[in-house]
Amino acid sequence: MSTGTGTRAAAGTTRAEASDAELTELRTAVRDFLSSRADEAAVRAAVDSERGYDDKVWAQIAAELGLPALALPTAYGGDGYGVVELSVVIGEMGRVLLPSPFFSTVVLAATAIVASGDAGAAERLLPGIAAGATTATLTVPNRAGSWEPATGTLGVHVTGSGSGAEVVLEGTAPLVVEGGTADVVLIVADSPAGPTLYEVDMTTAGVARTTLRGLDLTRRIARMDFRDVPARLVGEPGGAAPVVARVLDVATTALAAEQVGGARACLETATAYAKERMQFGRPIGSFQAVKHKCADMLARVQVADAAATEAARAVDGVPGSPDPGVATAVAHAVCSEAFMAVAAENIQVHGGIGFTWEHPAHLYYRRAKASQLLFGGPAVYYERLLRRAGVRPLRTA
Amino acid sequence: MPSEPDDSGMDQFVAEARAFLDANATRRAHISDEVVWGEGEDRITYFSTDPPEVEAAKVAAAKAWQKVRYDSDFGWITGPPEFGGRSLSSLHDLVYDSLEAEYDVPDTGVLSLIGLGMIGPTILAHGTEELKRRYLPAMYAGDVIACQLFSEPGAGSDLAGLTTRAVRDGDGWLLEGQKVWTSVAQHAAIGLALCRTDPDKPKHKGITAFVVDMSAPGVDIRPLRQMTGGAEFNEVFLTDVRVPDDHRLGPVDGGWGVALTTLMNERASVGGEGAGAAGRAVALPFLTELLRANGRLEDAAARRRLAELYADQAATEYLNHQALRRFRAGQQPGPESSVSKLMYAQNLTRGAHLAAEIVGPRLVADTGEWGTFAWTELLLATPALRILGGTEEIMKNILAERVLGLPKEPSIDTKSPFRELRRSGRAEA
Repeated sequence: MSTGTGTRAAAGTTRAEASDAELTELRTAVRDFLSSRADEAAVRAAVDSERGYDDKVWAQIAAELGLPALALPTAYGGDGYGVVELSVVIGEMGRVLLPSPFFSTVVLAATAIVASGDAGAAERLLPGIAAGATTATLTVPNRAGSWEPATGTLGVHVTGSGSGAEVVLEGTAPLVVEGGTADVVLIVADSPAGPTLYEVDMTTAGVARTTLRGLDLTRRIARMDFRDVPARLVGEPGGAAPVVARVLDVATTALAAEQVGGARACLETATAYAKERMQFGRPIGSFQAVKHKCADMLARVQVADAAATEAARAVDGVPGSPDPGVATAVAHAVCSEAFMAVAAENIQVHGGIGFTWEHPAHLYYRRAKASQLLFGGPAVYYERLLRRAGVRPLRTA
Repeated sequence: MPSEPDDSGMDQFVAEARAFLDANATRRAHISDEVVWGEGEDRITYFSTDPPEVEAAKVAAAKAWQKVRYDSDFGWITGPPEFGGRSLSSLHDLVYDSLEAEYDVPDTGVLSLIGLGMIGPTILAHGTEELKRRYLPAMYAGDVIACQLFSEPGAGSDLAGLTTRAVRDGDGWLLEGQKVWTSVAQHAAIGLALCRTDPDKPKHKGITAFVVDMSAPGVDIRPLRQMTGGAEFNEVFLTDVRVPDDHRLGPVDGGWGVALTTLMNERASVGGEGAGAAGRAVALPFLTELLRANGRLEDAAARRRLAELYADQAATEYLNHQALRRFRAGQQPGPESSVSKLMYAQNLTRGAHLAAEIVGPRLVADTGEWGTFAWTELLLATPALRILGGTEEIMKNILAERVLGLPKEPSIDTKSPFRELRRSGRAEA
């Protein structure tokens, strides 16, 4: 993706921007790759593997396609593209439910590092992430399950009065995305200066991590217990809030693209089945009850696609795009709801076969519900949307 | 809407349009998004409820403004020059519309929604030179309002099941039957009528289209009072109405192709949600004030419904952005407009019912309190949105069959003579 690209100044940096034709080319390249390396059998094999994803596929994604570098800053080994391009990649991964540390590493951790403005951390970590050599994740261990980095709600804190560059962490992060395998964990912990972002090198620190039994079989979640774990400051003491806010905007937008990819796969599967499945001597798709289900699914997917696309453009500051605060919150809500509804209806269109373990419909249903709840769920995202749109927050909140 | 930099001719067009509008209209004062609760007209209208004299004045103003546009070459931007058009693209049309929206000009919907938007292109595509010369310039100059005589009591979603007859009578035709749900018929000089000319052919193949003079003897236009209490639509009874053969549109028994042209030009209500009193009433700022005024801004259940509605409204707006962007990039239109229509109707309906819940018993009878009973008007209008311009069920069939490629209903008979379908009762099915 280095040919004939334009550049645009956004947020004080120069961002590379792919043309429509290049976006299509990128989509095709990722789709072709995934169709040969991550078909259903490969996904199921990865699910049953120890790490939960295929190391070789991850290495190829980095070495052959260069995807982890795509949206990272050029100064740290990246290609300098934005969320629009990242969304295309994530959408394709969502389509096949690729088990991969891509989301946790590139979307969560790398975005946090860049947003922290910490040049040292960027220097240390981003080149490895760009090259696919380092996997990472980010956790905001809010005990209420949201990703709000509020003092007093975090399950992990700095011991004693430590507020310098090197601190010691104590506590539990209950739900860390790909936390069982990440090389580096970025964590928001309470410190005397307020919620602060820290980096924990998992290759040296003795953190106890337990991969949990998950609803979503294609994305692993782990618990991390920190007992006197050395950690390094990222960004400013007490500076986690704006970093997390930026991560949430980018991550919910990328997740929206992933949800649209998954929803579209469900729509296509359901439609194909409705055309071939014969009952009462005719394809079930000729019955209006089934036909209208499919039309409803299509409508939801189209609306969700538009929401995800506009949000990505808004985050990248594309001229004429809507307010990013509102657009990202809209996309998170609409795409979460759409994927869940479409994944559920996909099973109904399939009938009994859709309820079997062998059929992939449940893998999408699991992913849909887990991703809907990943950043707090409807209770959180609808209130965030109202706040972003200028409605006074609940006094009790 | 900014002009596209890749189109050098567009810049000149924009400058010309801007100069025309500056010379002939005043710019709208900036309309603040801020809602001042309790102030302004206490009406939430969707369908017009104007008394006849007010409506007549609005129609006259619409015709006058269309004349001004036409005289300055903005009356039919996409039309051919020989009939008063200027042969520019649909994009120019859109650009002009968005520029004009910045000015305070009369609403020309009475002319444009049916006549200029649907009937004009149909006459252009299927009419004889004589018909085109006779009607197109007059229509786009604002002199002739046209209506669409398609739906019948027995032919709604199944339009091809229509039974209004046209029989040969010397060098012309005699029309007999009833049309229904006819918008703007009371103002129209002409109507495009679909009639059964051969009941022995299959139902799609025995229909002919005619341009009917609405003032001809035997044309009886009666207002159709709808459930809101107003009468936006009409019933049109045709009793031995004589139509000369030169007013036939397209070949005898070739009317279904003519109808398809009209229906393809039915402009989807893209962007419609933002417009009008109803759109503003169900938008977030007004509904938020409604909650606040009723002490419900701390009610988690009400907030949730508000947020869910707002998410879908915003996403529908994004869908329209996306459609417009694709259109400007010269891509084929996708299913966006059909989806947009479904969403628009659903969102407006949800908004009305949310408001009703917040207002509570004060919606049941008019207590005189501002912002309460006024919601009844919208509440009573919303069922129509899921019917008009293609019922929700038909829209879903279209999405499923044309976009997803699902098989058609096997029971639809396109081969038997129409007369036999009627006898077996299947014409009404």
